[in-house]
Amino acid sequence: MEPVARTSFAPRSFAAHRTASILAGLCGSIFLLFLVAPIARLVAGGGTSGVAELFTDAELRGALWLTAVTATVAMAAGALGGTPLAYLLARRAFRGKAVVAAVLDLPLLIPHPVAGIALLLILGRGSAVGRALLHAGIQVAGSPVGIVCAMVFVSAPLYISAAREAFARVDTRYESVARTLGDPAWRAFRRVTLPLSMRGLIAALVVMWARAVSEFGAIVILTYNPKVASVLAYDRFTGFGLTEALPVAAVLSILALVPLIALRALRPDRGAGMDG
Amino acid sequence: MIDVAGLGAQVGTFRLQDVTFTVPHGQYGVVIGPAGSGKTTLLETIAGVIAPHAGHIALDGRDVTAAPPEDRRLGIVYQHGYLFPHLSVERNVAYGAADLAFATEIAGRVGARALYDRPVPALSGGERQLVALARALAVRPSVLLLDEPFSALDPRSRTIARRTVRALHRELGITVLQVTHDFTEAGLLGDVAVLLDHGRVLQAGPPDDVFRRPASPYVAEFLGAENVFAGTVRALGNGDPEAAEQRDQRPSPDGHRSLEFRAGPLTIYAVGDAADGATHAVIRAEEIVLSREPSPTSARNQFAGTIDEIATLGALTRVSVDVGGAVLVAALTTRSAQELGLARGGRIYASFKAMAVHLC
Repeated sequence: MEPVARTSFAPRSFAAHRTASILAGLCGSIFLLFLVAPIARLVAGGGTSGVAELFTDAELRGALWLTAVTATVAMAAGALGGTPLAYLLARRAFRGKAVVAAVLDLPLLIPHPVAGIALLLILGRGSAVGRALLHAGIQVAGSPVGIVCAMVFVSAPLYISAAREAFARVDTRYESVARTLGDPAWRAFRRVTLPLSMRGLIAALVVMWARAVSEFGAIVILTYNPKVASVLAYDRFTGFGLTEALPVAAVLSILALVPLIALRALRPDRGAGMDG
Repeated sequence: MIDVAGLGAQVGTFRLQDVTFTVPHGQYGVVIGPAGSGKTTLLETIAGVIAPHAGHIALDGRDVTAAPPEDRRLGIVYQHGYLFPHLSVERNVAYGAADLAFATEIAGRVGARALYDRPVPALSGGERQLVALARALAVRPSVLLLDEPFSALDPRSRTIARRTVRALHRELGITVLQVTHDFTEAGLLGDVAVLLDHGRVLQAGPPDDVFRRPASPYVAEFLGAENVFAGTVRALGNGDPEAAEQRDQRPSPDGHRSLEFRAGPLTIYAVGDAADGATHAVIRAEEIVLSREPSPTSARNQFAGTIDEIATLGALTRVSVDVGGAVLVAALTTRSAQELGLARGGRIYASFKAMAVHLC
């Protein structure tokens, strides 16, 4: 009886499978179009003029330069402060670890203008910290330092989360072997763990940098001037309309491809957690 | 020397408890235990990778309980090698070595030198184990911890690797502690066997003692003893003709008594100091002699039975003999089995000495 059941069932099953595939493909295509269409329209509409403006518009060049520099400084600060924390979270069990992890995710969950307001309360001229820093000659609000602070606040959690995963993928036994071969903990980290997690860490840094470059909400509260590229696009849109904002927005979209390509180049991330 | 006393450690929910044993300087210790018994945890605790919460570890007379791994002068080889995939094979071997010429020599001895030109990810499991072994030996450790280091090797390479490790262990005077599932390996390599189960040491001592005189029926069965019987034992009295005969045959200089053990249809004569009452009798299969006619030997225990099953594996044959409802398993060479012309259902005599009966 089984062959009969098969001949009557299989074509129906195959047809159902094909229908499901077509439906899934259709839904996926519509969704993809929804994501791509605005950016494609933006680049098509303002890409050429945006690139041309790079040569003529000093304010645009300055904003892009400021964005790149502050995002890079923010990335370095995130790497410096976030790497030990990510390692600690990946490797050690300690009391309050879940709370620390939750606190680190908080900046990702709150609206970014709210993050800007919170930073302003702590680092603004009216706050004790802000006054102390000002006294030491460091102005936070309304300066590139404020931009960096806002960028670190909103993007470092992404780095820490990804770096933590990168460390966790490296089997602890690699370190154990290195220790028994004479390496103190720090040297084992430098010679073994760091190289094995490097791809993951670089990918995490790229994500952080990209997130910092695209930040607007927190920066606009803390430092409207000097303007980073996202603030400039907003400023031109509110001040002069869509046509004026289009080239700036298009250039920012094109530049977003840089980290995207970098991330692609870093994949596939060879599993260092696998036995080497 | 590896001296572990009252060691306790915890990893997740698993606990090592009150682990105590000693592997004297320059000797080869073997830890035997089922999967999940804590063998690797024990090695990692000795290596300093896992911090113990109780007990002491001394290596070559030095208390290293609180010392970091890099200060213990030991090497560890994991089952999966854990070669550093970002380094070449050569740099893996030389990783901790102070003397590069020695590292190269060791690599040559264990067969890792021929792999220097190959990238680590291209090595097979067995090749990785060899490189990991060379890497651990290249730092001239005083103690070498091996976690099933030959498991991925083919039988021929395994034999060569065992021989090489044994030779290097003797030449370099290294104390070795190896984890294995393989009882043959334990018997071949070990000077000291440590039987571990559920994080506790069930028995420790020379492998022959552990195999022949298991501390419990569980240990006996774990070590592959086929003839384990539950029953009762009683000392044979002075007026007992059996006892007199037993004494005549087996004088007991250490004060051991002649004993009679009963388990179902079996009455077995033994020698020992067991108290009267319920106990278990263990007879190693290789202690049982089979013959076509009643044996004229001095073996006190002799049973007539029928052959229930014959299992041949290479040079060894195991024969199950039904003796009035109880089954005795005998191990003999396949050649002997052929000479006896054994056949299933055939009549056979199984005999063994009273001294071969271990009560536990």
